[in-house]
Amino acid sequence: MSERDDRSMMDPAAMNRVMRNRLTRRTVLKGAGMGVAGFSVASFLAACGGGGGAGGGEELDPTQVFSGEPGDTLDFANWPFYLDQTKDKDGDVYYPSIRQFQEETGITVNYADVINDNAEFFGKIQPLLAGGDDPGWDIIVITNGRYFNQLVAPGYVYPLDPTKRPNFDANAASWAKDPFYDPGNKYGMAWQSGITGIGVNTDLVSAPITKMDDLANPDKVGQASVGMLEGDMPDWVMINLGIDPKTSGPDEWKEAAAWLQMQKDSGVVRGYLGNEYLTDMQNGNLAATMAWSGDVLYSDVWLGLPLEFVFPEGGALLWIDNMMVPVGAQNPAGAAQIMDFYYDPKIAAMVTEWVLYMSPVPATQDLIIKDADKAQEQGYKGYANKLYQTAKSNYLYPDEEFLSHTSFGRDLKTDEEIDEWDSIFLPISQG
Amino acid sequence: MTAAEQGTGGAPAAGPDVHRTMGARRRLVPYYLLSPGGLFLTIFFLLPLCLMLYTSLQSGGLLSGGFTFTWQFSNYGDVLGQYQVQFVRSLVYSGIVTIVALLLAYPMTYWIAFYGGRWKSSLLLLILLPFFVSFVIRTIQWKFILGDNGPILGALKDLGFLPEGFRVLATPVAVIAGITYNFLPFTALPLYVALERIDAALVEAAKDLYSSRWEAFRYVVWPLSLPGVFAAFLLTFVPATGDYVNSTLLGGPSTTMIGNIIQEKFLVELDYPEAAALSVILMIVMLVLATVYARVLGTEDVQRAAGAQA
Repeated sequence: MSERDDRSMMDPAAMNRVMRNRLTRRTVLKGAGMGVAGFSVASFLAACGGGGGAGGGEELDPTQVFSGEPGDTLDFANWPFYLDQTKDKDGDVYYPSIRQFQEETGITVNYADVINDNAEFFGKIQPLLAGGDDPGWDIIVITNGRYFNQLVAPGYVYPLDPTKRPNFDANAASWAKDPFYDPGNKYGMAWQSGITGIGVNTDLVSAPITKMDDLANPDKVGQASVGMLEGDMPDWVMINLGIDPKTSGPDEWKEAAAWLQMQKDSGVVRGYLGNEYLTDMQNGNLAATMAWSGDVLYSDVWLGLPLEFVFPEGGALLWIDNMMVPVGAQNPAGAAQIMDFYYDPKIAAMVTEWVLYMSPVPATQDLIIKDADKAQEQGYKGYANKLYQTAKSNYLYPDEEFLSHTSFGRDLKTDEEIDEWDSIFLPISQG
Repeated sequence: MTAAEQGTGGAPAAGPDVHRTMGARRRLVPYYLLSPGGLFLTIFFLLPLCLMLYTSLQSGGLLSGGFTFTWQFSNYGDVLGQYQVQFVRSLVYSGIVTIVALLLAYPMTYWIAFYGGRWKSSLLLLILLPFFVSFVIRTIQWKFILGDNGPILGALKDLGFLPEGFRVLATPVAVIAGITYNFLPFTALPLYVALERIDAALVEAAKDLYSSRWEAFRYVVWPLSLPGVFAAFLLTFVPATGDYVNSTLLGGPSTTMIGNIIQEKFLVELDYPEAAALSVILMIVMLVLATVYARVLGTEDVQRAAGAQA
């Protein structure tokens, strides 16, 4: 306690330095193997006990955490296929927007597409966060829903500093500002948003796929050829059964589970997957699969694969992936800087042209059209067409009518809800 | 170590007192030698084991303030009731894996040990070579090679040898084959060590005494190789039962093994107590099976064979 009180009196920049030193020293001690037993017991018990993290649910003053000079390096954990990339003349892949950030700020960004699944990633960092250790990342990208809540409730993420995001204030889409799960964007800022629909391999299906029930029909999709996204499927099935997941309870969950069991019994399911569904889909192992909009659009538009994104007749699941700063991050000031950097429309457009998800910066639409016009003038017709297609797509810039057919998922908030949910849905994927 | 060296170095000039301390020091030497490994195992095996037992009796949840120790024995009952299918499946899979791996590895190592000649080490290296590439990478390559329209199945389908819907991935066959492949070196090495130590003259002697080739194998080579078979069984069966990588990468909706459940309990549900309870049960089952195997199927043989060799 007293330590915390002392801190509040310290100059913020000095506090940042102190925290950094403290963490470094701890890491070094660990590495040297001194008092290893003591450390592992303490941190393991802390992990088992949950809570008790550096935040411990107490209010941290964001102006202190995020002020001061940013550090030299920044560790950014994100999902695969979620950032613009290209090859330089030596054939090495790099991220143009990250490179621009590095040139402008001098901060070296270690960008890693290590998040395959919210649950899996959270499970990896949770013991570190609970032990008050550096989780290894300054920014993580987590979907709204239970894992977002499980990061916020025990104080595993810093409340953001609202004075450090002028681009966000000026450019963010209405849906990205003040979302229902995070009033006032206290803990997260949208990275991208998208919907969960159906990715169809037109070479492999024997009839058009238009609705969820087609994914349980062996005559249309064949045997063992449907991928199901494990994290999204409960909400997605509810929506397609005409249930509003946001207000659903255990009875509705069981209804959705019954559909999933029926689908499994029909023998069409290939696997219950995370982000790895993308390679399975691209390699032609899946005839039809639950899929995230941008992944399919990208594979179709830029890779020329025979894939098509289908908006199911019954509706689609809407979600927002959020950038968050975990407690224990070594460079929160740098994190705040890059988060706002991606709300600069020019930068956001670089990302959107590549990832084809719903951008939290609507101004990107006009910029993409301008890029398309430019390409048209220079005679790159195919490229221009692809950009026009991108800018006009409802999947990137949805109108009200489009959004009315989508819904967010159930916002699980308590252990009891989560246990009940898991006890209903996990037996299906754990066959 | 240093104490031991000093003791030996000072021995010639030493009086009776020194002899006594030297004796004490000498008696301590084995413990000095044990201490690095002992310390390592205490920290990284014994302590986690205790923590696992401790965790398995906790209850609570992450959002409601974490887990607390409450002697929650019901964790064990709950998981046993819920995951019988996956337990049995894991044992069946790894049983098949062990048998297939032994059948594959025995003739192979037998040949290397008796007929390998100067190529012995190179041939052994070939068996170990896959170890130089990451386990996960190799398994992902299998996924590519065995893809529904991959280089093998795709070609066979184009040539009309296989029906369009044929697949290997997402079946138990793929999982069992994957585990067998990944654990084959664990089976082969102990077998090789046991077979290599058998004196070829013993087989000649058996033949001189009018045994057939089969009898020479049955009554001479096989009993002498039993310790190797036992070690191969342990090194293959035990880790194969807990494996979850192959099932994750090569399996389908109905090939979930107990390792997958434990992994998912830890990383997805964040239900540490139940995950720990499952791990404890798995460990006990493995210990019991290994003991029963040693007792019923051959400790005596193993011991006699080991004794005969020593």
